[in-house]
Amino acid sequence: MTGQGPFILKYLPAILWLLLLTGTALCADDALSPEDLTKDEAMRLGERMYRDGILPSGEPMEAVVMGDIPVDGRMFTCDDCHQRSGLGSEEGTVITWPTNGRELKKPRRRTGAWRPPEGDTAKQNARKNLPPYYRVEDARPAYTDKSLAMALWTGVDPAGRKIDPIMPRYNLEDRDMAVLVHYLNNLSVDMAPGVDETTIRFATVITDGVAEEDRQSMLSTLQAHIDTHNSQNRHQERRATSGPFFKTEMHQAYRRWHLDVWELKGPEDTWPGQLKNFYQDQPVFALLGGIAPGSWRVIHEFSEQNKIPTIFPLTNFPIISETDWYTLYFSKGIYQEGETAARYLHAAENIAPESNIVIVFREGLESNALIRGFSESWRKYERPEPEYLKLLPGAEPTPEFWKETMKSSLPTVLILWLGGDDLANIESIAGDWELPRQIIFSSELLDYSFEAVPDFLRDNAYVTYPYSLTGENETRRLMVKRWLEVRKVPVTDLQVQSKMYFLGWMLTGAVKHIRSEFFREYFLEKFDMMNDQDYAIAVYPRLTFGPGQRYASKGCYVVQLTKGPDPELVKRSDWVIH
Amino acid sequence: MEKMKTQYPRTKQFVYPAQLLLMIFFLSVNPCRAATDYDKKIVQYTIPDVILVNQDGQKVNFKEIIESDKPVILDFIYGTCTTICPVLSIGFSHFQKKLGPAAQDVHLISISIDPDNDTPLVMKEYLERYDAQPGWDFLTGKREDIFQVMRAFDAFVTNKMDHSPLTFLHASGDTKWIRINELLSSADLIKEYNALSKK
Repeated sequence: MTGQGPFILKYLPAILWLLLLTGTALCADDALSPEDLTKDEAMRLGERMYRDGILPSGEPMEAVVMGDIPVDGRMFTCDDCHQRSGLGSEEGTVITWPTNGRELKKPRRRTGAWRPPEGDTAKQNARKNLPPYYRVEDARPAYTDKSLAMALWTGVDPAGRKIDPIMPRYNLEDRDMAVLVHYLNNLSVDMAPGVDETTIRFATVITDGVAEEDRQSMLSTLQAHIDTHNSQNRHQERRATSGPFFKTEMHQAYRRWHLDVWELKGPEDTWPGQLKNFYQDQPVFALLGGIAPGSWRVIHEFSEQNKIPTIFPLTNFPIISETDWYTLYFSKGIYQEGETAARYLHAAENIAPESNIVIVFREGLESNALIRGFSESWRKYERPEPEYLKLLPGAEPTPEFWKETMKSSLPTVLILWLGGDDLANIESIAGDWELPRQIIFSSELLDYSFEAVPDFLRDNAYVTYPYSLTGENETRRLMVKRWLEVRKVPVTDLQVQSKMYFLGWMLTGAVKHIRSEFFREYFLEKFDMMNDQDYAIAVYPRLTFGPGQRYASKGCYVVQLTKGPDPELVKRSDWVIH
Repeated sequence: MEKMKTQYPRTKQFVYPAQLLLMIFFLSVNPCRAATDYDKKIVQYTIPDVILVNQDGQKVNFKEIIESDKPVILDFIYGTCTTICPVLSIGFSHFQKKLGPAAQDVHLISISIDPDNDTPLVMKEYLERYDAQPGWDFLTGKREDIFQVMRAFDAFVTNKMDHSPLTFLHASGDTKWIRINELLSSADLIKEYNALSKK
């Protein structure tokens, strides 16, 4: 008896397979379909199983991983390894194969193995006659619905191959399995719009109110990258027709790039319609860069609703979300300065929990973003709400205002989210009052004109600064300049141009890695999986990436100012404050 | 002629000694590889004297918690990792469940290899997702300190996507570590821990 259990377990997959084959022979229809659901409903429920590990009933999926570890589906989802696109991933020594409909329904070669092109062409026939050692056997045949279900239940594929135990064995009822299989069958099947046999089309969005110099700085650098890619400097198109067979996949994936410029004009509420029209006239695969002086919300929402990736727009007002997925930003913009102020004060040992924090601000996009960044973090630290003093439109902070603020509020920390002009009368408190331990400013709100902070405040003044400091990354800035000069692009705004220079390098890497799998989710996943690139970063100390991470710059310095008319910035914090 | 037939071909005269040398080489660099079906070594590490930050935002002296009176099981993970880390963390979570109250006798430590993104708040949510019980800490810190810890455990990779499924076990008071470079079943992790605690 003691050997009975393991014996059955050992041969359970084989027994199940035998039952399946018998069943298949009796029933010619191999399709599994959740017949009581519409296709859309099945897709919605299947997506929830795939991404969130939740069954149609609302309960978590159950599975066993590594042979004996029960898993609650919410801890470890299909999406984790196979990714949102279903095209799989590579991490360390673990290679996760694609599980999208297009790949499941055809035989699978080993990862990286050469596969002859589809279609019965003379070239394919010639390649079929390659010596046997080049002819790689299929690792498994195409899945049917039932063999796919069996693989998910037992971990054994239709070739009898035991799938790595890292792949969970799912305990699913027939109907739930049918929902999941339906979803997988329809996942990443049709290539995304915006790509044809020769070209990948991109667009960049420019809104009203952008200065002509900024517009040109962004466009010229982006276009220089596109021209470089299209220059055929490695004879890509010739190689795609006559290159060595083992590089077929790489060469045939080559497409020229084309950049459309979508200019949004007039009131903001008309922008969604304008974006829709641009897209209907000429679909694009993704949006690159782009620039807006105000909020990026409309473009962000367009991107999210239509599942069109937007890569590195130039905006101080990105949408801050932990769940939105289709826009990859350089940073959280001005919000990040507010968040950094909260982190810095929370970590400061001389700021007790009961300390009185006073924020003086003037209503506006910038101060709203700063306050949101600060207060959301501050609340998570379970700190008491600060006191807010809002300046009315047109009202100038008078000497009496500053004196009253110091007298009545007695701030331990004074956060001045104001522009330089609003500091004109602050000298009135010089000498009469003990200054707060920390007086916090924002670089963006000061418009990087740090001389606006009066000398008498500087010993206690701390400024959030979201870029590399002078002396950091000088070599990389020089590289950007040289790169532009070689391409005869005038250096007009090194910060904007450095960002587009970085975008171009990342784009090159991502497009190379998606090969001919022109799925937008896969494209974004390639950015997620990108090495934390450091060679092309010129204006940030570092940019880092990871699955689902949508803000590449995670840090912001806190600096102090030296005295005098041209203050230097002195670093007072690490780039990332924990 | 007969003698000639028994001789190895000229190439094999070099191949066989070369194979032998290779075997000796691998045995010599990996002398303690145990008789398991996973990659296991006994190694000695110098623990760096750095201050890290836990999921509650508290500063912790890394050397002190490693050299405490509890055995330690340690891994390297990050909050948005796709494949390896969830499985390592499910392993830790199940390990705590299987041990029950006895899980309090061992300190589980996960070190972030993505310190820029893994803030205390991110780490706290991560531990909650895996139903972590007291006794399992997730540590982040300054990038250079994290790199120092990774290097100390011979776990440094320039790209976090290239990391390996490493688990380290260490008995209290012992200078040696068990280094396992493989994802483990629950039975195997408990077996390794039991062997450790019998020391």
